[in-house]
Amino acid sequence: MTALRQAWARVVSFFRKQELDHDFDEELASHIELATEEHLRQGMSLPKARRQALIKLGGIEPSKEAHRDTRGLPWLDGVLQDLRYAVRMMRRSPGFTAVAVLSLALGIGANTAIYSVMNAVMFRPLPVKSPGDLVILSWRAKQGPENSSPEPPGIKIVDGNVYTEPGGARVSSDFPWPFFQLLSKQNDSFAELYAYKDAGQLNLAVGGAAELGRVEFVSGNFFKGLGIDAAAGPLIVESDNVPATSAVAVLDYRYWWDRFGGSADAIGQTVRISEVPFTIIGVAEPKFYGVAAGSAPVIYVPLTSRQPVARNTGSLDEELTGGMFTDPKYYWADIIGRLRPGATMASAEVEIANRFRQYVLGSVSESEAASQRDYFPVLWLEEGASGSGSLRRQYAKPLFVLMMMAACILAIACANVASLLLARGAGRRREIALRLSLGASRIRVLQQLLTESVLLALMGAIVGGGVAAIGSRFLLWLLAAGRDDFQIRTVLDWRILLFTIVIAVVSGIFFGFAPALESTRADITPSIKGTGAAARRGRKHRAGSYVLVVAQIARALLLVLGAALFVRTLLNLRSVQLGFNAENVLTFNLNASKAGYKGSALIAFYAQMEDRLATLPGVRAATVTGAPLAADSSFRTPVTYSGNKKGSGSWCAVGPTFFQAMQIPILRGRAIDTRDVENSPLVVVVNQAFADKYFPNANPVGEHIKIVDGTDVTIVGVAKNIRDSLKQEVSPFVYIAYRQNYLIAAWRGMYFEVRTASDPVSLAQTIRKTVYETAPNVPVAGLMTQMQRIDNSIGQERTFAYLCTAFAVLALAIACVGLYGSMAHSVSYRTNEIGIRMALGAEPGRIQRMVLRETLLLTAAGVAIGVPTALFLSRFAQGFLYGLEPHDPSTIAVAVMALAVSGGIAGYLPARRAAQVDPITALRHD
Amino acid sequence: MADSKLDLLQGTLDLMVLHTLETMGSLHGYGIARRIEQVTDDQVLLNQGTIYPSLVRLQQRGWISSAWGVSNSNRKAKFYSITKDGKKQVRAERANWQRFASVMGQVLASGEGGTQ
Repeated sequence: MTALRQAWARVVSFFRKQELDHDFDEELASHIELATEEHLRQGMSLPKARRQALIKLGGIEPSKEAHRDTRGLPWLDGVLQDLRYAVRMMRRSPGFTAVAVLSLALGIGANTAIYSVMNAVMFRPLPVKSPGDLVILSWRAKQGPENSSPEPPGIKIVDGNVYTEPGGARVSSDFPWPFFQLLSKQNDSFAELYAYKDAGQLNLAVGGAAELGRVEFVSGNFFKGLGIDAAAGPLIVESDNVPATSAVAVLDYRYWWDRFGGSADAIGQTVRISEVPFTIIGVAEPKFYGVAAGSAPVIYVPLTSRQPVARNTGSLDEELTGGMFTDPKYYWADIIGRLRPGATMASAEVEIANRFRQYVLGSVSESEAASQRDYFPVLWLEEGASGSGSLRRQYAKPLFVLMMMAACILAIACANVASLLLARGAGRRREIALRLSLGASRIRVLQQLLTESVLLALMGAIVGGGVAAIGSRFLLWLLAAGRDDFQIRTVLDWRILLFTIVIAVVSGIFFGFAPALESTRADITPSIKGTGAAARRGRKHRAGSYVLVVAQIARALLLVLGAALFVRTLLNLRSVQLGFNAENVLTFNLNASKAGYKGSALIAFYAQMEDRLATLPGVRAATVTGAPLAADSSFRTPVTYSGNKKGSGSWCAVGPTFFQAMQIPILRGRAIDTRDVENSPLVVVVNQAFADKYFPNANPVGEHIKIVDGTDVTIVGVAKNIRDSLKQEVSPFVYIAYRQNYLIAAWRGMYFEVRTASDPVSLAQTIRKTVYETAPNVPVAGLMTQMQRIDNSIGQERTFAYLCTAFAVLALAIACVGLYGSMAHSVSYRTNEIGIRMALGAEPGRIQRMVLRETLLLTAAGVAIGVPTALFLSRFAQGFLYGLEPHDPSTIAVAVMALAVSGGIAGYLPARRAAQVDPITALRHD
Repeated sequence: MADSKLDLLQGTLDLMVLHTLETMGSLHGYGIARRIEQVTDDQVLLNQGTIYPSLVRLQQRGWISSAWGVSNSNRKAKFYSITKDGKKQVRAERANWQRFASVMGQVLASGEGGTQ
């Protein structure tokens, strides 16, 4: 109690410094007067009486100091004093400060940027009630024996997400509805279970025009259970859970503003989702962005109304649509559980996994249950505090790689500042020696120096905040890689602030400690005298800074080499011969299925659109394909040829003018054309690779093959090979005529390719208008040039190439600054020696060469360490490379050259300065 | 003489000041210092300035209070007086010290004229 009161009094005193100082001044004055008075009474003369009074007091200043130390917070006074001093020192050498702060800002900023994206994707908890209690149900199934179907036994996944793990095991978070109901009714671990289904981008229409928006089906307890409040109106509740009775919708807050201007009139309006009408009843609160990071829905509707929507989008066959709430094998709903108080994830996992096992075994036949025993899915629980993890799975690894690179950058920046500090420490030797000899303790001086470096780092962090703001935007742009529904917000929260401050303080201490120790070595005298005796210590000292420089060069080489590998990969990918003319082509996606078109009407719709587009002014040709070209997204199919031989290939549906419009030569037979319509004999065109593989030395035209589900088709032509993927070689390919209407991936819609006479972008508006006039309820999606679309298909490679180049340039710049600083310092330190050499007859050119040689030696040492390390590490990048090996000699040569040139540039200025040393001045230097 | 001053234990001076204020009533800093010098035959205070940190400590703990007043010789001076908390404290501390001193006395006396 007393201690607390005293501590408080000290804090108060700290802030009332001036007032208390003044008070104490008066008190001391009165003390001296009282003492003088007494001495006068004892018969002393006035001057003597005063002097005696002062002597007995023990001096005014020491008394004041003792008083102040007892009264306030002396350590804080010390820190403030150090800070003031540090600011003064920084202002005295603005060049040093700028270089140090800038390199730290780049290092810290890069880390903060990546961390803020990681935070958004992986760590930030959902803005819901007690997110720590949430768990996500997932399952994992071992890969079955070679010949079995790709799906685990007893499971139908048609429109869910399944990930194949590196070992071949499949992982998913989709569950059948009966299991959700079973679990909701009875379990010991969860207080509540919520189900939802991300339906992806669907057609939304309010009034006339339709647009695409992400729709999420949610169970009735979803909003209430997660603790989401409404911004307007009520939200979906339990009573909306009754199948097909309640067609209500809740808007996302952003969508409410974008589409309705935040008006209360939105409530009660009808929104048609894939032509199924829903009444808007409310708006979710602004902080809620859905439960999956990166894909925020714009509208929520009850899960139980999924049937009519699925029926209209045509994404499911009637059997699955009708049985979605009863079929025990159809896996589609995501489940989130809220742990009961007292239940742990481990205990819950044991219980729920057991129940799931029972469920799965009950859903398959007895023989299957026995024979497939090891391959059934096994349930496991994932922490759900930060939401569902599809994005996490996708981005965790690249983000981790980026984080390592950013850490490398920060390490380089720290080493850089440390070597600058070492160099400057030598310059401040006299000042520090003086302070030590005047009685400052080594600890006190250390504290002072560390204060300076931490202040530098914090300034770096502040500037780095700006770097991070720009950097994270760049990063998100790269990660999105052209996906327009990719939404991640990086918000400045306490985690990011804490992260930044911690890395700043840690790096401040990290790079400041060694130089501070070095410059407070107790050997004072030679430093004060500043004579040659210090030079011996100086050499040792320079060795420390050289080691740092070499390490930086080695690390910079790693990054430069990485960048060179990724850039070459990108260049290789971009120079791939596509086999068709991708110049001046505008592409976009239309999905009439989502607007309710079916069967013949659907084909007629696309055909009509093809014809209208082809006749637009400025359009040379227009065609349509079932998958985007050269974007690695066509479908695989088994192929049966020559009676019953089995093979495989890919297929894509195309329009009648496809080969002509894309300028793909037909080598034999004919192209798919307007003759190929519904009820005409089914035909296909195969590519040359198909003909070569399955009909070597024979003419495949006229042959019958079976594709996909065993449909018998006739080959009518052979087309020249085109690339289906930039990264993979051409493989057997089958083109089918979409107008024959026997294979259409309705859920995906069709991709239109429009070849224009001039710049394709100039036609974008015309195309939007044309489509709108023809069918206002079918929105145009993903309008971009063919080149952009292909570029997006190599988004990951592009991301790596750009980021690595940015990092490499950064690292190279920082390393050059370090090299420059340390050579410049070395030259100024050796002015004396250089003067003597020149006085003894060394020519300026020779001196210049000497310094340059030293710089290049350091660079060479860095390269000598860097290359083997790079060879070792680059194996890990193998998977990301195309068209070259990780130890590609020419790439390594380029990287080494870049380092050598940078080293030469960094060494040139100091070398020139050395050559200009005037021997007379130099010898007088000390 | 200066080199034979006693090294004071932490807090000893604080107790002396408290005791002085308790017995003498309200006093200014100089008065307290003089009083201690007189009572101890000038054996403890290295100089009079050391009294002030002690006064700050006691005041921050709430054991004494201060107010500006006028001295006998009509000079402005800051007067310190003991508070109720301070009185409680000084009683406790005094008892402690007396016990401590007597124990130390016994220990040290037991060696006197010993076996050497």
